[in-house]
Amino acid sequence: MLGAVAIVVLAAVGYYIYIDRDVTHQFEGRRWTVPAQIYAAPQELYAGLPLLQADMEHELQRLQYRRVDRLEHPGTYREHGNRIDVALRPANFADEARPASILSINLNAEGLESLHDSAGKDVAIFRLEPELIGSIFPSHGEDRIIVTPQQVPALLPAALAAVEDRNFYRHHGVDPVGILRAMWTNVRAGQIEQGGSTLTQQLVKNYFLDSRRTAVRKIREMIMAVALEAHFSKADLMNAYINEIFLGQDGDRAIHGFGLASQFYFGKSLSELDLSEVALLVSIVRGPSYYDPRRHPDRARIRRDLVLRLMVERGVIKQTDAQAAMHKPLGVTAKPGGTYYPAYLDFVRRTLRRDYRNEDLTREGLRIYTSLEPRAQDQAERALERELERLDHAHKYPDAKLEGAVVVTSSQSGDVIAIVGSRNVGYDGFNRALDARRQIGSLVKPFIYLTALETGRYNASTVVQDTPVSIKLVNGKYWEPENFNKTANGPVPVVRALAESLNLATINVGMDVGLPKVAETLQRFGLPRAPAIVPSMLLGTVDATPIEVAQMYNGLANGGFRTSLRAVHAVISEDGKKIRAFPLDVTSVATPENIYQVDRMMEQVMARGTGKPAKSVLPANLVVAGKSGTSSEYRDNWFAGFSGSNVVVVWVGYDENMPTGFTGASGALPVWARLMAGLGTSSWNAPLPESLAETWIDFPTGLQVESGCASNDSTPIAVPVGTQIPLAPQCAAVNNGSNTGIGEIVKRAGEWLRDLVH
Amino acid sequence: MRPLGDAEDTILIRTTLLVAAMVMLLTACPSLRAPPPDFPESPTAQPATPNAPGTAQPAPSTPNAPPAPGEAPPRPAPKQYRLGPASSALVAQSHKQMMGGDFGLAAATIERAMRIEPDNPLLWIELGRVRYTAGDYSQADAMGHKALALASGDVQAQASAWRLIADSLRSRRRNEEAAAADQKANALSPR
Repeated sequence: MLGAVAIVVLAAVGYYIYIDRDVTHQFEGRRWTVPAQIYAAPQELYAGLPLLQADMEHELQRLQYRRVDRLEHPGTYREHGNRIDVALRPANFADEARPASILSINLNAEGLESLHDSAGKDVAIFRLEPELIGSIFPSHGEDRIIVTPQQVPALLPAALAAVEDRNFYRHHGVDPVGILRAMWTNVRAGQIEQGGSTLTQQLVKNYFLDSRRTAVRKIREMIMAVALEAHFSKADLMNAYINEIFLGQDGDRAIHGFGLASQFYFGKSLSELDLSEVALLVSIVRGPSYYDPRRHPDRARIRRDLVLRLMVERGVIKQTDAQAAMHKPLGVTAKPGGTYYPAYLDFVRRTLRRDYRNEDLTREGLRIYTSLEPRAQDQAERALERELERLDHAHKYPDAKLEGAVVVTSSQSGDVIAIVGSRNVGYDGFNRALDARRQIGSLVKPFIYLTALETGRYNASTVVQDTPVSIKLVNGKYWEPENFNKTANGPVPVVRALAESLNLATINVGMDVGLPKVAETLQRFGLPRAPAIVPSMLLGTVDATPIEVAQMYNGLANGGFRTSLRAVHAVISEDGKKIRAFPLDVTSVATPENIYQVDRMMEQVMARGTGKPAKSVLPANLVVAGKSGTSSEYRDNWFAGFSGSNVVVVWVGYDENMPTGFTGASGALPVWARLMAGLGTSSWNAPLPESLAETWIDFPTGLQVESGCASNDSTPIAVPVGTQIPLAPQCAAVNNGSNTGIGEIVKRAGEWLRDLVH
Repeated sequence: MRPLGDAEDTILIRTTLLVAAMVMLLTACPSLRAPPPDFPESPTAQPATPNAPGTAQPAPSTPNAPPAPGEAPPRPAPKQYRLGPASSALVAQSHKQMMGGDFGLAAATIERAMRIEPDNPLLWIELGRVRYTAGDYSQADAMGHKALALASGDVQAQASAWRLIADSLRSRRRNEEAAAADQKANALSPR
């Protein structure tokens, strides 16, 4: 008998030790890891910035600046006609810690006109504080907005204790008195008003276990709570609770922690909430779904007011304050607030994991500065969502939904400023921008023609044969591809072959240049894997993800000086020391001269070729260059191209890889064009290299034209100085070897007449 | 012309008068002339949004029409790049940071300016100089070449770029190439 008891006791102790170790280990892993905070690129303000007043206000609101009548404390702004005065919060940048300040912004019809400080002095350049876009536990990969004890309003722990766990600061994890009291209160009230679980138990439940409520679970929960309390301070536990407790659901994304919940429900940071708002969040704890203030506002309000009463009862607040708060409306925003860029954060996480050891990242209070530009991100998300909706109406498969991905970069620096991984932009799931490896189709063609130019035997006017090809493959079969419209155009100039994406001409050129050379060009521009050296490579049976395509097109967009794409600029420790910088690096992968010629041809893709439909959407005077890409059977639809400042890559297709029934020019191009138009980007305007000359040719034939015989088919191209191009017949007739114009004939006739008379 | 006999004289006179009459008819009737060909709409190079302040407005990348027969196509007009007020302030700040020995900070400051004026060769030269001072000669060289490509038409900026390239070559003991680069710089803009 004694033996049996001893065994049971031993088992119980053993079990306790096991749980104790498990719970403290897990909690420690999270408790000691204050996650890294991730920031978007700050908005730079300077005279001449084309940011209109309404957009300027929007940017301030995005940073949770409130409009007020008088500037009293940081976080507010005031409008005065065309002037906005802002009381800026202190801000931490990668290279500067800036105290709170006042800035006056004068705007006009074009944008920012001038900036002044509080002393009235002119300010040349000023950056707004960077927007916090997420926090990550590098080891866990989750993100949420973590609040440190300093950022938590004092009311909140007091409210939580008052409402959820009166004896929190006294008990050791489990509160038997609390349980009894709760039972008594609930019976009296006829409903569940108080829970018997301590905050610690709730924390355990939230952290470790799923939502099955069995007695065994409950007991285990109690043991774990006791174990936690034995190892960690009340302050630690309260802070963990504040940051971990489940407070709502946003589609696929769970809202954990009061910091994130504050954003989600009120669009404000936790420190900016008032009493009624804090009370509402506390009331949600008991049942985020049941007390969802958006779906069940009445219930939420009743509970909020109950919470306020409890707070009065416990002496946390005064009766008068509670009354005032009860009169306030719930105050939740209609749409879930808080910015959330899962696809971009995903890229940041991967960058950090690739370049860092975990130990580096688990230091407290790391700040990670990225190149995300929220305005561009919004534009990219909107463009994809809208256009896919439109394309949906024409789609072939009722059960499958079209999907897409977008990557936007700054051409010269390689900064990745926006990533969209899904049409469901808030969804943190399969990130197509980074992981959808698809055939790039005709996106490969500019690289083929670049390779051709590099041999010295081709230029934009070179006539190539768009005639049927029949290539014997290694397996003995013959490969006989066709153009998209099944016709062959005969002799065409290179610029036309690229603009119209003529398969046959491209294959003929590519076979002449040599497949290994083309493969080498692709890799030089950043294709991470060696492509299979087969003729179909010339039609783009090469796999790449949208981000990889963006890297490759980066070299085309900035004159052949490839810059590595970057999302992270710097990682800074809490005390402002730079742990790691990701500096700009430049590699020459092609001569500016050859790139310029290819870029001018890609301009013709937009002016005359498969990119032409974009004209109706783009601003009339915006010069862009691009290339459509469609893989076999229309499975993948791409459009990749650039303006003066941005590279944009769009992919559209089905996850299940079914044929879409449309080409890149009709699938991805509308997204691309809409986005380019909305970015407020600048025209492509690279300077003409000194060894090149501008000339005009007849687009269909490639023959030289001059002013006397130009037509709507005349197309400007860039070629090496001294390139001889045969003259078009219509021009030859006009010229006829000597200067003969109407005027000359009259002159000659006059001369003859004079001679005869004399 | 060989001497003509009388009969031929008459024919010649009549033919000539006929031709002259026809010609005068033609020149008098503008509608009979072939209309001047419509030059195709060439995309102008005016940016959709104002160019970054301070950049010299470069000549349009596309002329409006093909040149006349025998005429050489126009070359872009020479220009001079300048830094806008915002970039100037940042460059000044980066120089201070350089003097304080913080090359990382100086580079980050230039990168801020580049977000505003990504195509300004002067900024690439500045960044190249930071790299050079920090001892990253190959990046300094690459950025010098990048600046060169952007500076087409601006002899001062090109000379500056060549000097940066020359310095970066010299620091890697490639003295002959450095001398050649220096020569290019002096040819463009003698010191």
